[in-house]
Amino acid sequence: MKNLSNGKTKIANTLGRQKLLLDVTYTPESLLRHPRQLFRQMWYDLLASRELAWRLMVRDISAKYRQSVLGIAWAFIPPIAMAVGFTLASEANIVNVGKTDFPYPAYVMFSTALWQTFVESLNGPVEAVIKAKPMLARVKFPREAVILAKVGEVFFNFMIKLVLIIGLFIWYRISVGWTLIIAPVALIHLIMLGTLVGTLLSPLGVLYQDVQKGLTMVTGFWLFLTPVVYSVPESGLFGFFVQLNPVTPLLVTTRELATTGVISEPVSFWVVSILTWIGLLLTWIAFRIALPYVIERVSS
Amino acid sequence: MNRTISESTDKDIANKHGDSNVVISVDGVSKKFCRDLKRSLFYGVQDITTDLVGGRRKSEVLRPQEFWALNNVSFQLRRGEALGLVGANGAGKSTLLRIISGLIKPDSGSVRVRGRVAPLIALGAGFNPILTGRENIYANMSILGLSTQEIKEKFDDVVEFAEIHDAIDAPVQTYSSGMAARLGFACAIHIEPEILLIDEVLAVGDIQFKMKCHHRLAQLQENGTAFILVSHNPYNILNVCESAIYLKRGNLVRSDEAEAVIQHYEADLCLAGTSPMSGLIVLPEKSETKSLGLDIISICFKNEQDQLLETLRTGEPAYLCLTCKASRFLDNVNVGIVITSLSGGDQRVLSITSDLDNECLEIYPGKVEIHMQMPYCGLIPGKYNAKVYIRRGVMSLDKYKSFRFAVEPSKTTSRCLFYQPRTWQVVKK
Repeated sequence: MKNLSNGKTKIANTLGRQKLLLDVTYTPESLLRHPRQLFRQMWYDLLASRELAWRLMVRDISAKYRQSVLGIAWAFIPPIAMAVGFTLASEANIVNVGKTDFPYPAYVMFSTALWQTFVESLNGPVEAVIKAKPMLARVKFPREAVILAKVGEVFFNFMIKLVLIIGLFIWYRISVGWTLIIAPVALIHLIMLGTLVGTLLSPLGVLYQDVQKGLTMVTGFWLFLTPVVYSVPESGLFGFFVQLNPVTPLLVTTRELATTGVISEPVSFWVVSILTWIGLLLTWIAFRIALPYVIERVSS
Repeated sequence: MNRTISESTDKDIANKHGDSNVVISVDGVSKKFCRDLKRSLFYGVQDITTDLVGGRRKSEVLRPQEFWALNNVSFQLRRGEALGLVGANGAGKSTLLRIISGLIKPDSGSVRVRGRVAPLIALGAGFNPILTGRENIYANMSILGLSTQEIKEKFDDVVEFAEIHDAIDAPVQTYSSGMAARLGFACAIHIEPEILLIDEVLAVGDIQFKMKCHHRLAQLQENGTAFILVSHNPYNILNVCESAIYLKRGNLVRSDEAEAVIQHYEADLCLAGTSPMSGLIVLPEKSETKSLGLDIISICFKNEQDQLLETLRTGEPAYLCLTCKASRFLDNVNVGIVITSLSGGDQRVLSITSDLDNECLEIYPGKVEIHMQMPYCGLIPGKYNAKVYIRRGVMSLDKYKSFRFAVEPSKTTSRCLFYQPRTWQVVKK
């Protein structure tokens, strides 16, 4: 009796917001044919997924670290390994890395941490959707939660890397300007770009295993087209490709905002950022439309 | 008594108000699938692309290697109603439930759903084995749609229902499969949705737990939750649902009251099986070398006038007639009959042996008939399978494993497991 009266009141009180949920019609038509309804549903799902995203994020992070001995140290190891490797190579003159604005090891570690964050945000949605396949195939819940949970995890991992970065800055006595405050904005854009591409690929990733394998390969190659272990090339064919790489302005700007305070490529930064935000919205729509088709091809 | 009164009032209201009580309205729904994996994935990509550019999918046409998993299914479900969904494996029941849940899109027709739907399709969705039961309850119920506040309120009830007080803070991977299933069930059943879809998950746990689940479901039904119940066990459906629909290879074959639909379904099951039941089995004679001394030649049932019965009737007298050929004198022969019910999942109904009845049968060489007299048949209507064997001590002389027979109704035995012959009288004291 008690539960019943509670339940009924709840529905009445939230009738406005839940009314949409309380009356749904499923047809074979494309969702794009009713754009207003689509946007309303998307907005509602985004709001509804906040708590669930938090729960999933807590669940995934707890599970990941509970079963590991090194635990948090895994966030530090790749940047340090890269830095050691490339510093040695550079000092032995095996690779010509050019001049960097601040000490090379710090440059490499900081850039690697940023690059690592980008790669995590790229792989994240694909992994998350594939892992959530059983849930997606059996229960209806706001699917944005799966993506949001992964984005949250990327931010959490970055926080851990931040410890390393702060340690670096202190050790090498790298000066920071007031622009440090807005550096997170550029970082967020970087993560959004990765999430955008990852979310776009995730429905395909559920259907075809090539996507995950291909992504590993592509990111390996992509690393070399991004000024992570070398400074930004000014000219040449290679420099041309580096400039074409959308990650370049975002990563470089984040690095510069945190250190020198002088942004070398504001135009390309803003172009890429605006394209990222627009692209994110389009990807969200595509994700919503594509997922039911993917789920019907997946066994429950 | 109370239930029937409220049922009839509800029906009156439904008839008066028409649509306002309908919670699920399925209208001409069809769904096609493809069996070939690579082609299926390709069609998935094709569908996504067509949808993204806003084109029409031409979903009413079958592409190569596609088939209709559901074909033009329509029905309605009202508040507080329980609908049974029966059909053979692959008939499209789970597909229909997934379309109603909104997980996949229909290829034609439409589905209108009013209210929150909780599927009991997957117990433990979102469970991560490394985390504790407590954390998994929060995760699972969150996925099923409750807010953290609501989960906190129901947490104790869930743990109480699942009976895992001690293990709640242990990782789920240390649970037995029964405990994990109970936890999943407890989470799902506390969602208290307007519509509950139950896909063959009532089989978890021991009898006490099953009874608790049934009791809880009955409570939910009284509170106005509408059910769709999929089960292979007709007893589950008959106990819970008033009406049912029968799906056969995606087509809606029958939509009627539960008992009628179940009968139709069982009739189809048996006809689809082996031999039709004529009531008499005649076996070929065994050669001298294969025979062990006594061979069963035919098995049938006969009535009191020694006429062959094609089917038994509940409550009527009959006898089992085993015609045998003996090649030598045998004493201390033991005849055994094990009867299992074919409707309702192979449950053993009767085990009868003549030596436990203190009957030592003596058989002389030649043709003999062994009769087992039944003053009345206590079996309820349905299809049965009898395994008949003849032994002498530990040596098995002959046996026949699949003597199928049917029992027809002649007394009312609905909701009974067996027929109890009785007489009534009033004695003045």
